Amino acid sequence: MDESEAMLIRRCQQGEKEAFAPLVRKYAGAASGTAYVLLGCYEDALDASQEAFVRAWRHIKRFDLASPFYPWYATILRNVCLGRLKSRARRKTVALAEGHADGRSDADPVLLAERNEQRDRLWHAIMRLPLHHRGVVLMSHFEGMSYRQMADALHIPIGTVMSRLHNARQALRGHLTGEAP
Amino acid sequence: MSCERFNPLLSGYVDGELVAEERRRLEEHLATCEACRRELEGLKSLKEDLAMLKFKEPSDVELERYWAGVYNRLERGIGWILLSVGAILLLSYGAFQFIEGLIRDPAVALVVKVGTCALVFGLVVLFVSLLRERLTVRKVDRYSKEIDR
Repeated sequence: MDESEAMLIRRCQQGEKEAFAPLVRKYAGAASGTAYVLLGCYEDALDASQEAFVRAWRHIKRFDLASPFYPWYATILRNVCLGRLKSRARRKTVALAEGHADGRSDADPVLLAERNEQRDRLWHAIMRLPLHHRGVVLMSHFEGMSYRQMADALHIPIGTVMSRLHNARQALRGHLTGEAP
Repeated sequence: MSCERFNPLLSGYVDGELVAEERRRLEEHLATCEACRRELEGLKSLKEDLAMLKFKEPSDVELERYWAGVYNRLERGIGWILLSVGAILLLSYGAFQFIEGLIRDPAVALVVKVGTCALVFGLVVLFVSLLRERLTVRKVDRYSKEIDR
């Protein structure tokens, strides 16, 4: 973590809300994008990522300054998103009426930088993956996590991470070539 | 060993995540298997394509709105806590007064007194049970510990 970020977090730990603003601004794009991949809905993604920032603030005193901020925040964000998906599953009928019960029907790549036809196709292919595949693609390719970090975050063995990521990539290739079911 | 057994290793190879022994075995297999070499090329190409996907940075206006949303929730948190504490205190006091008055009132039939007490006692038991369940789940929920780092 760079020094200025550590300084900001130290100020946050002393209760200074203004010091939290630069952190939120710095990671808002990545946070919204991550939530969007998991939830498949733009409004939900914005709301969930903001809620995760609020939770991060509430627990900021427990944050270890020797660790980087974003992976810590990303774990909170994933939990917020998974919680929302669970409640969405519980009120499935309502979610169906809203049009995004499977978390991926609203898959417009609005949060992508530098779009073109190929990237849009890839994005749509990612959003067609089941949640557990989308999760590992997100962690590996968007968050740059190692297999060890993913295994720790998901509480699964490294071998499972490797095969899950491989299956996700195979499914992605299948969607891109039109060979997927 | 069949290609199927080597397949997941291809992803680990592309990501530089294999241990030396796995890498050696895979490279030996790749030297003799064209299908796996093609598969490997496909995975490398996909990884390059995925590396081109980036989330866009929000505009200054969007960031301001976003931060305002977070800030408002932070402020509201204190409000909710105070509101909840106040409501619990007032409701408990009101319930106590009501039950005390009911029990002391000779005009109220015994069945109503017993029924009301059972109702209130049941609510308290349910509340405590739910609270205990929440606390137990929180204690064993692996996700709640993610915050501790």
